[in-house]
Amino acid sequence: MNALLEELKGRQGELYHLQTRTLPVEFRSGKLESIKSKELEGVALRVIDNGRLGFGTTTNVKDGHGLVDAALATAAFGEKASLAFPAQDDFPSVDTYDQAIVELSERDLVELGEDLIARLERVSSEVDINLSINKVVETVKITNTSGLDAKEERTRILLSVDIEKAREGDIFLLFEEAQASYLNELQVDRIANNLIQQLRWGERIVPTPSRSLPVVFSPAGAICLLLPLVVGFNGKSVFMGTSPLRGRIGETAFSTDLSIADDGTIPHGLRSSSFDDEGIPTTHTPLVNNGVIKRFVYDLRAAALAGVEPTGNGSRSGFRSLPKVGMTNVTISTGTHSQDEIIAELDEGILVDSVLGLGQGNIISGQFSNNVAVAFKIEHGKIVGRVKNTMIAGNAYALLKESLIALGNERRCVHGMLNTPTIAVDGVNVVGQVK
Amino acid sequence: MKEKELLLQALAGSNADYAEIRIERELRNQVQFQKDKLENLESSSEVGGIVRCLKNGGWGIVVLNDISQLQQKIEEGERMARLVGEHSSEAAALAEVPVVQETVHAELERDFRDVSLGEKKELIASYNRILLSYDKRVVSTNARYTDSFREVTLANSEGTFIVQQVPDITLLLVAVASAGKTNIEQGFESLGSAAGFEFVLGREEEASNAAKRAVDLLGARSVDGGRYTVILDPGLAGVFIHEAFGHGCEADFLFKSEQMAKIMTVGKRFGNNELNVIDDGYIPGLRGNIPYDDEGVARAKTYLIKNGILSSLLHSRETAKKMGAIPTGNARAVSYEYEPIVRMTNTYIDVGVHSFDEMLAGIDKGIYAVKAYGGQTMFEQFTFSAAYAYEIVNGELGEMLKDVVLTGNVFETLRDIDMIGDDKELYGGSGGCGKGGQSPLPVTDGSPHVRISNVMIGGK
Repeated sequence: MNALLEELKGRQGELYHLQTRTLPVEFRSGKLESIKSKELEGVALRVIDNGRLGFGTTTNVKDGHGLVDAALATAAFGEKASLAFPAQDDFPSVDTYDQAIVELSERDLVELGEDLIARLERVSSEVDINLSINKVVETVKITNTSGLDAKEERTRILLSVDIEKAREGDIFLLFEEAQASYLNELQVDRIANNLIQQLRWGERIVPTPSRSLPVVFSPAGAICLLLPLVVGFNGKSVFMGTSPLRGRIGETAFSTDLSIADDGTIPHGLRSSSFDDEGIPTTHTPLVNNGVIKRFVYDLRAAALAGVEPTGNGSRSGFRSLPKVGMTNVTISTGTHSQDEIIAELDEGILVDSVLGLGQGNIISGQFSNNVAVAFKIEHGKIVGRVKNTMIAGNAYALLKESLIALGNERRCVHGMLNTPTIAVDGVNVVGQVK
Repeated sequence: MKEKELLLQALAGSNADYAEIRIERELRNQVQFQKDKLENLESSSEVGGIVRCLKNGGWGIVVLNDISQLQQKIEEGERMARLVGEHSSEAAALAEVPVVQETVHAELERDFRDVSLGEKKELIASYNRILLSYDKRVVSTNARYTDSFREVTLANSEGTFIVQQVPDITLLLVAVASAGKTNIEQGFESLGSAAGFEFVLGREEEASNAAKRAVDLLGARSVDGGRYTVILDPGLAGVFIHEAFGHGCEADFLFKSEQMAKIMTVGKRFGNNELNVIDDGYIPGLRGNIPYDDEGVARAKTYLIKNGILSSLLHSRETAKKMGAIPTGNARAVSYEYEPIVRMTNTYIDVGVHSFDEMLAGIDKGIYAVKAYGGQTMFEQFTFSAAYAYEIVNGELGEMLKDVVLTGNVFETLRDIDMIGDDKELYGGSGGCGKGGQSPLPVTDGSPHVRISNVMIGGK
């Protein structure tokens, strides 16, 4: 057993140890600005003392005493423990580690960035390009007094680009990102092509009417509809009574075209792993099957409170935080048509790629009301220009039940956790610029 | 002192044109209740450091937890800086500032490090009980207390050596009320300060206000989208001036882009004569305070807008050098994991002359928007959601409204401010600013009540 756990002298405990190496390379206005090497290491300890839970974290991995004392001090006033730490289990075999990412040097990352910037500058010279590229190599170790001894190494590469095109009275900001856990799956071409296409579409600004219209959410824009669901399917929100989906398993709450799963085992998936941040095997959890609510996701504690099995959704944001319920890879079912084909069918509508103020407002209820950031006007099946100062409002739950027009036939991995196609819905309330 | 020698030795061994080391030690506690459960009771400690090297105009940065590695890390930083210098035609340089050697102690009325975990837990439990028991429609709560005491040491190759103690304490009280499966509303109070434990005592009224608001919102009407004359309360106006305008004054955002810089030209008119916007690095007790910023530059009181005219931008040493300005003490880092970037401190619209009643008079159909759920800005475009609102009918406050989202172009909106109140308030909040992934940075925003004509409101 881990030496630190031995210091607990027979009490139950769990040690989460995280080492992270990152190498962010930043370009500003097309020029290399900085390289940063970051090596972080920290541990988190949960203990159960006299049936009560305590928690502490430290970066001083060599001083076990300090951490044990701090965690025990909190346990004296802690919550009555409802959970038990899991024993060693059979973990699914999930590939999470790419040696090619580990071997990338600073110079490799600089060249990757320079190549992409050169490509974009060839298309349009009057733009300001900021680019950031980063590789992440992390080692997670979880040990506990029930005999768990789990370790995994994970890699990731992240590329994000924003382009500013400013004119007097108008600034067009475009953003694209790609992430992959394997280097050869990083979609650099997709980033370049999307940006170039959006720059072309955005050359003209067109007015928007104020009325109810169909909206085509690109995979990146679909988060506007899907974010409330990420909260709603959280087993903890369900238990706490704040999810509008509570008590509705078996109900057809969504369009029958829609199926949603949370899957931590997808090969090379961005949030894939063999075990979650509490050492529970990751799983494929169906959330919605053909419109019918199937399950919610749980970490250890939420599962214990709700009296169900954990689903491998214990998630920590670094070593500093307690595990919380978190989605892994949220996968949305696909349809039969491409985004272009869906647009071609619409007489009038808006294509939304991103919005301002995502998640602000009453997200629990599914209500959204956002100003668009990157969006385009559809007329007679074609993109005719960019729209700005335009609000879109609706309720994600209602739209995904009653107003789904189509799901695209191609999924993209966006915002680190969503694996979604284009989603087109009708009846979104649009308030345009009155000028 | 052993650590001081370690820092000075590492700096002396560096061949960088400029080198800087920042070491941070932090102790923090958190108590959080959700519904009837104690969600988190935490005691944590952290030590870490960051090295920044400038060589041939390029930046190399290294972050570490193991301070004993400083010597090697400063060499690594220099090597990376050199690589950046080779690849970039845009050389970074720093404006000259005085060398400072000083220690700044925190002065707390009642130091939260001396308060027992049991007392902290009991206090938050008592607020949570108020939230929960207010009404049976309150289905869940979130009562969260955090404290953090940081000691930040900054040393650079120019001879600056500053040790600062940075206290921070926050309290968040949220009630979630529900009536039927899709009618779910929240009410919250969010408080933060650079103060001692006394700051979180006696907040029973805030707890019951949060619960009352959640319940009241269940019966509120969704606003009809359209254009309205709007009065912002000091909380929402403060978030507006920080998010929509303040970020635009941060010179790191401007200094490499000619087009952006052209729009934000000092001397340009942005509002009427009554409009003054200030960023002040030190107002006793406020959360955004920084006696010295994370480049060792002393705090300043900077007029962003004076009598309606853009009067200054906010600078780091690098942006000041590039733009021929004087550093304003606004280079801030949220923690040792990050390099300093240009950030606000305590930012507010200064008082005007109008009473709230004067503002109401003359509005036939308008909206009084109170507090912010959140907000986002994309340069000129902003969007904010009000926590709650009231309609204004024939100069009087009417029924409660929900789902009020304000949006628009910041420059047009500043010009459309037609009255500024005589009743300024400043709020620290329990969150913070999230620029550049460095979140949450403690800041304070504030304002008097502000009346704006012709604001676009999204809604049903």
